[in-house]
Amino acid sequence: MTQLAMGANAALAGNLISLGIALPSGATIDVTTLLLYDTGKVRGDDDMCLYGQPSVAGGAVALSGGAANPRFAYNLSRLPNGVEKLVVTATVDGSANFGSLAPFTVNVENGPTLPIETKGRSEAALILAEIYLRNGQWKIRHVAQGFNGGLKALAEHFGVDISDDAARRPAAGAAPPPPPTAGSSPAPVATPAAASGSAPEPATTVNISKVNLTKEKKTVSLTKKDGKYGKIGINLNWTQKPRKSGFLGLGGSGNVDLDLGAFVELSDGRKFGVQALGDQFGDYSREPYVKLLGDDRTGEATEGEWLQINGDKWSEIRRIMIFCFIYDGAANWRETDGYVTLHAPGQPEVEVRLNEYGSRDMFCAIAEIRNQGGEVAVERLVEFYLSHREADLAHGWGFEWVAGSKD
Amino acid sequence: MAVSLSKGGNVSLSKEAPGLSKVCVGLGWDPRVTDGAEFDLDASVFICGDNDKVRSDADFVFYNNMTGANGAVAHQGDNRTGEGEGDDEQIVVDLGKLPADVQKLVFAVTIHEASSRGQNFGQVSNAFMRVVNAGGDKEIARYDLSEDYSVETAMVFGEVYRHGGEWKFKAVGQGFSGGLGPLASNHGVNIG
Repeated sequence: MTQLAMGANAALAGNLISLGIALPSGATIDVTTLLLYDTGKVRGDDDMCLYGQPSVAGGAVALSGGAANPRFAYNLSRLPNGVEKLVVTATVDGSANFGSLAPFTVNVENGPTLPIETKGRSEAALILAEIYLRNGQWKIRHVAQGFNGGLKALAEHFGVDISDDAARRPAAGAAPPPPPTAGSSPAPVATPAAASGSAPEPATTVNISKVNLTKEKKTVSLTKKDGKYGKIGINLNWTQKPRKSGFLGLGGSGNVDLDLGAFVELSDGRKFGVQALGDQFGDYSREPYVKLLGDDRTGEATEGEWLQINGDKWSEIRRIMIFCFIYDGAANWRETDGYVTLHAPGQPEVEVRLNEYGSRDMFCAIAEIRNQGGEVAVERLVEFYLSHREADLAHGWGFEWVAGSKD
Repeated sequence: MAVSLSKGGNVSLSKEAPGLSKVCVGLGWDPRVTDGAEFDLDASVFICGDNDKVRSDADFVFYNNMTGANGAVAHQGDNRTGEGEGDDEQIVVDLGKLPADVQKLVFAVTIHEASSRGQNFGQVSNAFMRVVNAGGDKEIARYDLSEDYSVETAMVFGEVYRHGGEWKFKAVGQGFSGGLGPLASNHGVNIG
């Protein structure tokens, strides 16, 4: 019997498929087969086969068997027109999730077995498998991915309306937060290869780690090399919908102009603003040792906008707050999908995504970079403010503000 | 229409796309819609001299080193989630600007932290890698990672190499275990 690993797929023989699920004990688990169209969603209640509705599509999809050993029978040649995929799902009743249950299997008669691992899982609803047509051949894929929010999240994903009554069970929030996964927060300098003996000179090796600053992991410190950091680049980029898609481009003025800037405080207490607004582009080799390169007004340049910090002058810098603001266009941060990356020579790239949406404020304080005993300590902020002035107040900068504009 | 290259098959870039001076290796995938760690795929390239080894560590062009060979090889940016249409990462090579001692470029795709996140290509939706004529839109070869490399976590995609007076592309399509670090070490990069 072939075993299909998670992610793996296999061809199915024939159009009559019998798929059994040997469920673990210890929780009530509901299994469902959903019939999906090219939208990846169901069209209505008839596209769901479950205990309350054990036969759909004129019997082409049917459920039988007991609660512990449900079995689906599919006649793939008689599926309704337009059905492109069947997904087999399982949801845990109550507040439990799959992480508390024993591993189990999905078994295709005269076909592969899918061992479903449960260890470390936080999902209360799982897509166990999908059956799909590819190049004229029906195949099955071991998916085993799902939703911590249980049935409600699963149903929404596939376009199923469920009543509040059905949603009561593993509603969002009932599931415990996912356990931290080992290795999900890489140390800035450690790499897998570093452990294997014969450590080469650190200064002449390549660092393959990268760092995502998130709500959960807010800070990182860059390690110093030779007392100097070199040229530190800060890039703001965004994946604005291109004009040709006719989305943001409609109406001509829909494009968003995101501007990158920085507040800089030197170790002697002097403070500087660096931004395109007011033509304050800064200077790399003299104070404030921070320079803004150009100004990308549309986001179409793939490189985005760059700030450069003179890392060789790091001892003269106390702190830098990196921010961006929407100079022109609506404050729709989700459409903009901006992200900022910090590049320092020989250091892992540090990325901060502006992914806390919903704010209509025009100003986003992205990160603060502090001189911490000579180290470069980066802290993710991603805080939204009405304007420069409010951000200034909140972070104790004390600038005087006048209105400005760009040419 | 893409040339259908089977594993090990090769094609002359100059014959496939006359006047070709730039090639682009693109990597695309769909963002994760279920809960769990993001799928972070990475495209990288080894700029090799003789013996399939890099000439120096700088010849390893990847997310922490975006250009190589004096700018002839340019990584267009690290995408960590798969958001966006079409290619999510691209490496553009200006063949005419490659130094004379460069014999071969080896392109690879890896999943960042595949092992700690327990991920493989089959868990990612619509993951592909392809090589196109960067001037036009002529696709020279394409691999479907989600479907045909489902249990792999890293793959050597293909090679652009000198042959006679021209550049050729060879489809390799070979899975590789161990991830980016061991892959880089294999090509002579000092990983620290």
